[in-house]
Amino acid sequence: MALSNSQAAATRPARSGGFTSRKLAPYLFLAPFLLLFIAFIVAPLVYAFYMSLFRDTLVGGRQFAGAASYVKVAGDAKFWGGVWNLVLFGIVQVPIMLSLALLFAIVLDRGQVYAKGLFRLGFFLPYAVPSVIAAIIWGYLYGPTFGPFTQMANALNLPPPDFLSPDAMIFSLANIVTWEYVGYNMVVYYAALKAIPSDLAEASQIDGASPWQFARLVQLPLLWPAILLTIIFSINGTLQLFNEPFLMRFLARDVINSSYTPNLYAYSLATQNQQYGYAAAISFVLGIVIAGASYIFTLITNRRRPEQ
Amino acid sequence: MTKILNPLGRTMQRRNFLKVAGASVAAAALPAFPALSQDKVKVLLWSWVPDLQLQVEMFNAAHPGIQIELVNAGQGDPQYQAVRAGLQAGSGLPDVVQIEFQHLESFRQLDAFADIGPYANARKGEFPAATWAQVAKGDVVNAMPQDTGPMAMLYRKDVFDKHGVTPPATWDEFADAAEKLHAADPNVFITNALFSSGDWVNALLWPMGWKPVTRDGDKLVININDKISKDFAGYWQKLITAGVIETKPGFTNEWYTGLDTGRYATWLTAGWGPVFLTSVAKTSAGQWRAADLPQWDASKFATGNWGGSSLAVLKATQHLPEAAEVAIWLCTDPEATKLYTTKQFFFPAPSALLSSPEWAGDKMDFYGGQAVNEVFAKSANAVLPFEWSPFQSVIYQSMADELGASLNGNGTLSDAFDRIQDAVVAYAKEQGFTVA
Amino acid sequence: MTATTDATFEAARRRPGERRRSRIMLTLLLSVFLLYSFVPLVYLVLSATKTNGDLFTTFGFGFGTEFNLWQNLSDLFSRDNGIFLRWMINSVVYATLSGAGAALLATAAGYAFAKFKFRGRNLTFGLVLGAVFVPQTALVVPIFLLLAITGLNDNPLGVILPLMISPIGVYLMRVYIEQGVDEELLDAARIDGAGEFMIFRAIVLRLVAPGMVTVALLSFVGAWNNYFLPLIVLRSQEYQPITVGLATWYQLAQQGGGGGQVLFSIVITGALVSIIPVIVVFLLLQRFWQGGLTAGAIK
Repeated sequence: MALSNSQAAATRPARSGGFTSRKLAPYLFLAPFLLLFIAFIVAPLVYAFYMSLFRDTLVGGRQFAGAASYVKVAGDAKFWGGVWNLVLFGIVQVPIMLSLALLFAIVLDRGQVYAKGLFRLGFFLPYAVPSVIAAIIWGYLYGPTFGPFTQMANALNLPPPDFLSPDAMIFSLANIVTWEYVGYNMVVYYAALKAIPSDLAEASQIDGASPWQFARLVQLPLLWPAILLTIIFSINGTLQLFNEPFLMRFLARDVINSSYTPNLYAYSLATQNQQYGYAAAISFVLGIVIAGASYIFTLITNRRRPEQ
Repeated sequence: MTKILNPLGRTMQRRNFLKVAGASVAAAALPAFPALSQDKVKVLLWSWVPDLQLQVEMFNAAHPGIQIELVNAGQGDPQYQAVRAGLQAGSGLPDVVQIEFQHLESFRQLDAFADIGPYANARKGEFPAATWAQVAKGDVVNAMPQDTGPMAMLYRKDVFDKHGVTPPATWDEFADAAEKLHAADPNVFITNALFSSGDWVNALLWPMGWKPVTRDGDKLVININDKISKDFAGYWQKLITAGVIETKPGFTNEWYTGLDTGRYATWLTAGWGPVFLTSVAKTSAGQWRAADLPQWDASKFATGNWGGSSLAVLKATQHLPEAAEVAIWLCTDPEATKLYTTKQFFFPAPSALLSSPEWAGDKMDFYGGQAVNEVFAKSANAVLPFEWSPFQSVIYQSMADELGASLNGNGTLSDAFDRIQDAVVAYAKEQGFTVA
Repeated sequence: MTATTDATFEAARRRPGERRRSRIMLTLLLSVFLLYSFVPLVYLVLSATKTNGDLFTTFGFGFGTEFNLWQNLSDLFSRDNGIFLRWMINSVVYATLSGAGAALLATAAGYAFAKFKFRGRNLTFGLVLGAVFVPQTALVVPIFLLLAITGLNDNPLGVILPLMISPIGVYLMRVYIEQGVDEELLDAARIDGAGEFMIFRAIVLRLVAPGMVTVALLSFVGAWNNYFLPLIVLRSQEYQPITVGLATWYQLAQQGGGGGQVLFSIVITGALVSIIPVIVVFLLLQRFWQGGLTAGAIK
């Protein structure tokens, strides 16, 4: 990821009496954020890691278990089954969502459509809907017997779609997530496109490049950091999927089981099975999987990054 | 008291009258003692019962020395999580908490409860034996029963009449009727079986004498895939294979609409079902009737329980006598408990209410003027004893996961019970139990 | 660029009529997706006008047999002694405080990372960004347990403070400040004798305001949409935000037993009302929103 400190300021030592204050200043500016960061991220993580080394049992209480939980995660078919579900989900959903977002951003940036403002706002609107509520609404729409799509299919004498069947469920979830986030990603790209100096576009027009070529050869490379950022975020969001399947579960308990996604699994282990330690271990391994997936992806794409 | 309510109706029996009178005397006598100290004892109560504030205010008015502070900490699971986390952290717990019957044993296992036996044992006779058995182990009482859910069958008279089918009294007749109804109209199913709700499946296995987990100290006998559940699985598998029932998840808009439009001809449900149904199936008002739960052996009438809850006193309380009084009063006071049936629409736990003509004889228009409560009250007295496991939510979760998977092509219901057995045995061993 | 020649000619051959046709085509293409974006919202609006009975028995994309919106609204705001309004206010307060706090904290931290050299800078920055990969479930349960120990459970601060932490906000502000704040300007101020805090307040904050708004908005939306953290941390109904409250009502119907009730029209109407404030905020701050994202995205 392009997170290096390449543009860091070259600090010169100050001459005036502000010397100490300048040495201290960064720590003071960092302090409020770091304080909360330590209290609400580092400390819980350390605590969770500590918990993951223990086993909570109904008989005998809490016992030290060392790395036993991690060994168990490595061979836990339910955990890896959940990860696999999400890998399938991500392979389908992320490219579709991001290409749509990119396409819309480019089209809107060029202004080759009517009612630009309406589109920009309309695409973005679903992001304003909390995922909990989005899942409830789509759940109603998916109704296999009385949902509106089934009503329409019945009216047209077509076989009604079953969005909640085991085979369709992953796509139905993917649809909800796509609906929620296309607009968000589009705005990220749109903003990045707006930052491309306009003389580049003019120059390419003089060179006689077609709009498509301009997009491929000029815009895409400049957009690459933004694209990479959204991809990493999407990988991250995908593997942490929770709210949507959690609420869809009420409509399709037979399809979305308690280990459908790793986060659902960890949640059910902690809340139903009271295996706090094991749930913590699952979360840690999931975090490692996410970081690993993002890292590998960055390595691959950096190697075959579009030429500038 | 300006308003004098006679909670038990006109034909109140002498025994009941004495009881009510006794309770009133007790309530009247109580203020004298705590009034000595000016500070009221605050009792924190967690419950998700809607409008419980009404009963809480009645309690507070009757107890000048005790003040209930009511908090809705979420319905079911979220609240249990909060209790478990509080137990884990050793703080942040209420004094009295609403717990569904099936989870009492799990919290006993965590040593969460105080023993209110000294205060509550005198009230034992006010409840049906099967109900009291849910909250007490011998003389140790951990909670007071607030409402229950004895099983019976609600059915659509119009649908059965239209196709000339008699409502079933036995499971054999049920299977017959299922075929006939579906043959007459392919859009009609005798029922939607809620196999992805572990508690519903449990309620139907219950009257068969199913004993999934029996316990002797830290020794457990786990018999989930025994002959009983296999027979049960075989019976329903036939109906599934024949396509004469549906097996979609319950309590969804789809399912409600199915009940309302006559897609499903019956709902095998608990005592809280009749009133619940009136709010979800409005357009079919007047078409519904209640009948006994279909029986395996018509000569031995037996039923089970689905749902219902209790008020438990937690061990962490600093005010045991007051907390016990809160739990006991809210579950036994004649006025307060009667209000549950009219305001919260609970299925009542106390025997006095179950037999009160005013409640049991209530003729509801939604059920064509039938006194449906009578059917469920009969069921309440035929509920068999049942032993809950110390990790019931794990079993329900596993049932929902595995039975659900079997509906989607992963083996049969019978295979699913094998998988549940394996999963639960593995969990129990991991939790340090000796599994025989 | 060897392949451009053909395209050059093609582009030159294009007539205005052709361009208009492509404009119409593209508009149509986007309209299809706009329809998709609107369908659930239209369904939501229509459903909010229906009675519970009509909700699933009448056509989903049409009106019901009676227009029940006002009744639904009055039911919504009067249920449980008007707790819904309280939830709305809670959500607004939590989201606003978290949003403002996150922006301020991230700007100060981003400024430190962007314009100062200090020991452990790269390590700290790496740690902060690494937090993005931490799964929610890994944090929420331990946070609850730690809050219980410190007595902050069932306290709104237990939700507001964690939501003020925005690693991505720190990243965005660092990049934004590196690009948007001129080093010489800061040095000039120092030579004039301005203290570090003064410089931050008078120069930096002013220059990076659009970026701050972006971070504030991101965090505002993040807090508004959050479900898991308040679900676990807050117990009292009067502290809950709208997502938890509505989901509770939604689930009332999912669970039989004592007190099970069906509140579909109320939940639907509540869902509609609950997204209105976010939409208003978006509309008001749209310009900042897009301007501010630029820096972080294009770096």
